[in-house]
Amino acid sequence: MYWLSKTRYKVGLLLPSILLYSVFIIIPIGMAVRYSFTKYSGLGRPEFTGFSNYIRMFSDELFWSSFKNTMIMFVLAFVLLLVLSFLIAVLLNKKLKGSDLSKALIFSPAIIAPIIVGIIWVYILDPNVGIINGILDAVGASDLKQEWIGGATLTPYSLAIVYFWQQLGYLVTIFIAGLKMLPEEVMEAAIIDGANERQKIIRIIIPMMKSNISTVAILIITGVFKIFEIVQQTTGGGPNHLSETLVTYSYTMTFDSGDYGYGMSLATVTFIISLIIVGLYSLFFGDNDAKKEARRKRKEEKMLKKGGVQA
Amino acid sequence: MKKPLRKVMAAALALTLIMSLLAGCGSKDEGTSGDVVTIKFGIHVANPEEQENVTYQIVQAFNEKFEGQYAVEFEASDTETHSKNMKLEAEDGTLPDIFWIDASEAPDYAANGYLLDLSGYLEENADIDTALNGMENAFNNGEMQYGVPYQCNVQGFFYNKEIFDSANVAYPTDDTTYEEFVQMVKDLKAAGTTPISIGSKNSGFAMWEFNEFLARYGWEDMYKDMADGNAKYNNDELVKCFEKIDGLREAGAFSDTVATSEYFDAKQAFIDGNAAMFGTGQWDCAAFDEALGDKVGFWWGPKFADTDANQDIAMKVPSAPLVVSAAVAEDEAKMAALTEFLNFYYGEEAAGISFAGSIFPATNYSDVAATDTQYAMNSMIEVLGSGWGSPAAAPDQTLNAAVQEALYDSIFGVIQGNYSPSQALDKMDAAQAN
Amino acid sequence: MISKKNKTFMYIVIIGITLMVVFPLLWMVLLSFKTSGEIMASPLSLPKSFNFDNFRHAMDVLDFVSLYKNTAVVCVLALAIELVCTFFSSFVIARMYFKNKRIQTGLFSFFILGLAVSPFILLFPVYKINVFFHLTGIWGLIFPYAASSVAFNTLLLVNYFKQLPTEIDEAAVMDGCSVWTLMFKVILPMSKPVLATIIIFNVLYIWNEFPYASVMLRDVSEYTLSMGASFFKGTYTVDYGGIVASSLMIIVPELIFYGFFQKNIVEGMTAGAVKG
Repeated sequence: MYWLSKTRYKVGLLLPSILLYSVFIIIPIGMAVRYSFTKYSGLGRPEFTGFSNYIRMFSDELFWSSFKNTMIMFVLAFVLLLVLSFLIAVLLNKKLKGSDLSKALIFSPAIIAPIIVGIIWVYILDPNVGIINGILDAVGASDLKQEWIGGATLTPYSLAIVYFWQQLGYLVTIFIAGLKMLPEEVMEAAIIDGANERQKIIRIIIPMMKSNISTVAILIITGVFKIFEIVQQTTGGGPNHLSETLVTYSYTMTFDSGDYGYGMSLATVTFIISLIIVGLYSLFFGDNDAKKEARRKRKEEKMLKKGGVQA
Repeated sequence: MKKPLRKVMAAALALTLIMSLLAGCGSKDEGTSGDVVTIKFGIHVANPEEQENVTYQIVQAFNEKFEGQYAVEFEASDTETHSKNMKLEAEDGTLPDIFWIDASEAPDYAANGYLLDLSGYLEENADIDTALNGMENAFNNGEMQYGVPYQCNVQGFFYNKEIFDSANVAYPTDDTTYEEFVQMVKDLKAAGTTPISIGSKNSGFAMWEFNEFLARYGWEDMYKDMADGNAKYNNDELVKCFEKIDGLREAGAFSDTVATSEYFDAKQAFIDGNAAMFGTGQWDCAAFDEALGDKVGFWWGPKFADTDANQDIAMKVPSAPLVVSAAVAEDEAKMAALTEFLNFYYGEEAAGISFAGSIFPATNYSDVAATDTQYAMNSMIEVLGSGWGSPAAAPDQTLNAAVQEALYDSIFGVIQGNYSPSQALDKMDAAQAN
Repeated sequence: MISKKNKTFMYIVIIGITLMVVFPLLWMVLLSFKTSGEIMASPLSLPKSFNFDNFRHAMDVLDFVSLYKNTAVVCVLALAIELVCTFFSSFVIARMYFKNKRIQTGLFSFFILGLAVSPFILLFPVYKINVFFHLTGIWGLIFPYAASSVAFNTLLLVNYFKQLPTEIDEAAVMDGCSVWTLMFKVILPMSKPVLATIIIFNVLYIWNEFPYASVMLRDVSEYTLSMGASFFKGTYTVDYGGIVASSLMIIVPELIFYGFFQKNIVEGMTAGAVKG
C-alpha cells in the first residue's frame, strides 16, 4: 500500500469530499457560530455583542432544564439502543425463517413521517386519552397511571423510548452489515470449541465488531443531540418549555422568538457538548489508531531511553 | 497506472462544472410571457385553495377580470416556512411583490427598508381608505404605512347552545360578569362537560379569547410603555387579569388535555360536542356552521368589576398585515398592476366573496352581508351590533416576536397551573429585557 | 446447532419486537381509511368503512407523479456525487499510508464533525451559499444533501475499510495493480454490504428531508415528497386523513426499496467473499 500512497493521489482523492463538505457544512457552521456572537433577528445587519448570548445562557433556567432533559434522553437512549440493537442484530442475523421480513418491518418506524409519529405516540402516551393509562385503568392498576407526556418530569424518559423505537431499525441495519463481515471460519471454530452463545458473543463477536460498535455509538450520541421532530410532534416542548431539549429550545428561540443570535449560541453549545461526548467515548472505548500509535511510540521511546542509559 | 485515475478526476470535475452551469441556466427569467404583468403573492399556507379559500377565490376573480393583463401567482408555504422564507428572500432581494407577514415581524421589515410606504396609495385611493375605516392604523409606525390588514379578525368565545341547554345553564350575554362566568363554568363542569376546550401544543397563538381579558384591563393604554421598557408587565392590573385566568383554572374550566393537544384537536372537541365553549375567531365559522348549525353562539367574554378600564370593548381587529416589497416601486408596470390588485382586494366585490366565505374583510361596505345559514358569522354580527369600539390591534399583535412568545407561554402556564400570575408576567418582563 | 428450546425463544423475541414496532404502522394503515374527524375523535376504533376517499383526496391535492420524479432525480444526483466523493476520501483515510498518523485521524475527525450539527442551524447559511453560487431549485438541494451525507458515509466507510485485511492491498500491489484497479476491482466488490447500507440511509434521508426542501424550493413543480404533508395542515385547518394517506404513499416505496437493498447486503457479502 505504501507504494500507492503518493501525496498526489491522496490530495486528488480527498479533494472532492473536502470541497463539498467545506462549502456546505464547515463554512455554514462557521457562519452560524459567528451569528452566535451577535444580536440578530434574521433581518438586517447583525449587531456584534461579544459573549453576551453565552453569558445569558448561564442564568437562563430554560437552558438548564433543556440541558437536563437532553442528558436524560441521552443516557437512556444510549444504553437501550446500543445494547438492544446489538442483541437484536445478532438474533436477526441467524438464519431463521422470516428474519428478512422482520428486518424490513423493524426498520419501518424510521421512515414514518414525523407528524404521524406524533399522532401515534400521543395516543399511546397521553395521560388522559392515551392507551397506556387506558390499559392501566382497565386492569385495575389505576395507581400506576402517570403523566407520561404533558407533565413536568416524565416527558424526557418517554421521548427517549419513542426515539429508541424510531432508531432501532437503523442501528440494527448497521450492526447486521457488520456481522456479515465476520469470517465464517472463526464462528465455526468457536462452535467446534464448544463455546456457547453467550461466550461466543462476548469473546468473539464483540471484540471483532469493535469499530462497528463505535460507529453505532457515535451515531447514537450525535443523534440524540439532534432529536427534534419527535419532541416537536409529541409535546411541542411543552408544557411551558418544560420538555424542551437543547435543539428544540434553540429552534424555538431562533425562529419563534426571532432571536437568531441567541438561538445560534444555544445551537453552538449543543454542538460542542455533543462533540465532547463523542470525544470522551473515543478516548475511553474507541479503537483509535492515533492512540495505538502514540502508545507504540511511547514504548519505543522508553526502550530508546533505556538503551541510551545503557550505552 | 495514473491515467485512469486522472480520467476519473477529469470526469468528476467536468460533471461538477456542467452541473453548476446547468444550475445557473436553470434560474428562469421572470415576466417574459407576453405583456401579462405577474404579481407574486407570498402566502402563509401551502395550499391556498383549501387553507385560505377566501383569498384564493379573490385572486381567482382578479385573474379572471384582468386576464391577459395582470396575473397574481401564489408563492405558498406553511406559516413557519413562510416566515423563514420571507427573511431569507428579504436578504437576497427576491421577496414576493406582496406578502402576508406576522404582525410581530412586520415592523422589523419596515425598519430595515424592505417595505413600501403605502400612505401614497391610500391617499390616491380615497375610497379604499374610507372603506378600511382606520383598520390600517395598526400598521403605521408613525413614519410610514408599512402594511394593510389582510383581513379582519373577530375573536372571542363560541359556545354550543345545546350543551348549555342540557346543562340548564343560561347563555352568556354582553353583561355577563366574571363571577357569573366562573359559576357558569362550575355548572357546566358539574353537568359533565368540558367547559372550555383549549390546546397548547405548538399552538400558543390559540389564546384569542384572552385578548378580550387583556383589553378589559386597559392593555390599549399601557402596552406602549411596557414595550419601551418604561413599565413592567408585572403590574397590578395585569396581575389581576392573570388571576382571573387562574381562577378559571381553579374552577376546572379547561380541558384535561391542554398540554398534549393542539388547537386543531381542541377545535375538534368543540365541533364534536365534547366541550361547551371554544375561543377562536371568524376563520372557524364555516366549520361550525357545518357541524353545529344554529346551535352556535358567540360571546366576547366576561366583564370585570375590579378595574377602571373600559369594559365595553369588542374585539374586531385587523389580522396580520399584507405588505408590499419596496422593490415594486422601481418597476412602473408592476406598481400599476399592484395598485389594481389592492383596489380589487379591498373593493366591494372582494368583500362580497369574503363574507360568503364567512371571513370578515378588512373593509367596511354597508351593502355586503352574510346569508341566513351562516349561523356562526351571524352570531358575531349580532354582538357587533352593540356598537362597542375595538382596540386598534389585538393585544397579542402589539408585541415583538420574543415578548409575544412569552405572552403565549405565560397564559398557557397559568391555564395549566405551572406559573402563578406574577411569575407568568415576570417571564414577559424577562423577554422584554433580552 | 441451536437447540430447539433456544430457537423457540428466539422466535418469540423476534416476533414480539416486530409486532411492537409494526403495530403503529398497521394502525396508520387503518387510520388512512377514516375521516379527519374520526381520527381525532376516536383514533383507536376500526374505520366505519373501507373507503379510499383520503387517498383520492391526497392524489387530487398532490401531483404525485411530479413529486416522485423530483425526489428521485434529487436522490440519484445527490447519491452519485456523495458516493463517489466519500468512497475516494474514505479509501484514502482508511487504506493509504500516512507518515504522520495524526493527519489521518485529523481528517477522519474533521469529516465526522458534521454528524453533530443539527440541520436547522445550517439553513440560513446554506441558503446564502446557494445564492452565492446561483444554485436554485433542485440544484439548491443536491449539493447540501450530498454534503450532509459526507459525515455519515465517512464514518461507515472508513470503519468498514479498516476491517478489510491489509493482505489484499499487498497482494494487489505485488500484481502491479494501480490505485484505480485496487479501488474499483478489489475494494469496491468487497464493500457491497456497507455500500448498500449507506445507499439505504442516504436515500431515506433525502426522501424525508423537509427543512432544506421547504426553504430552497419555490416552484410547486419542483417540490419533493416531504413537502406533501404541509398541503394538509394549514394555520387554521388540518386534514389528518390526507396527511396519513399521503404519508403512506410516501412510505411504501421506501419500504420496498429497503427490502430490496437489505437483501443486497446479504447477497453482496457472499459475492464479495468469493472474490476475496
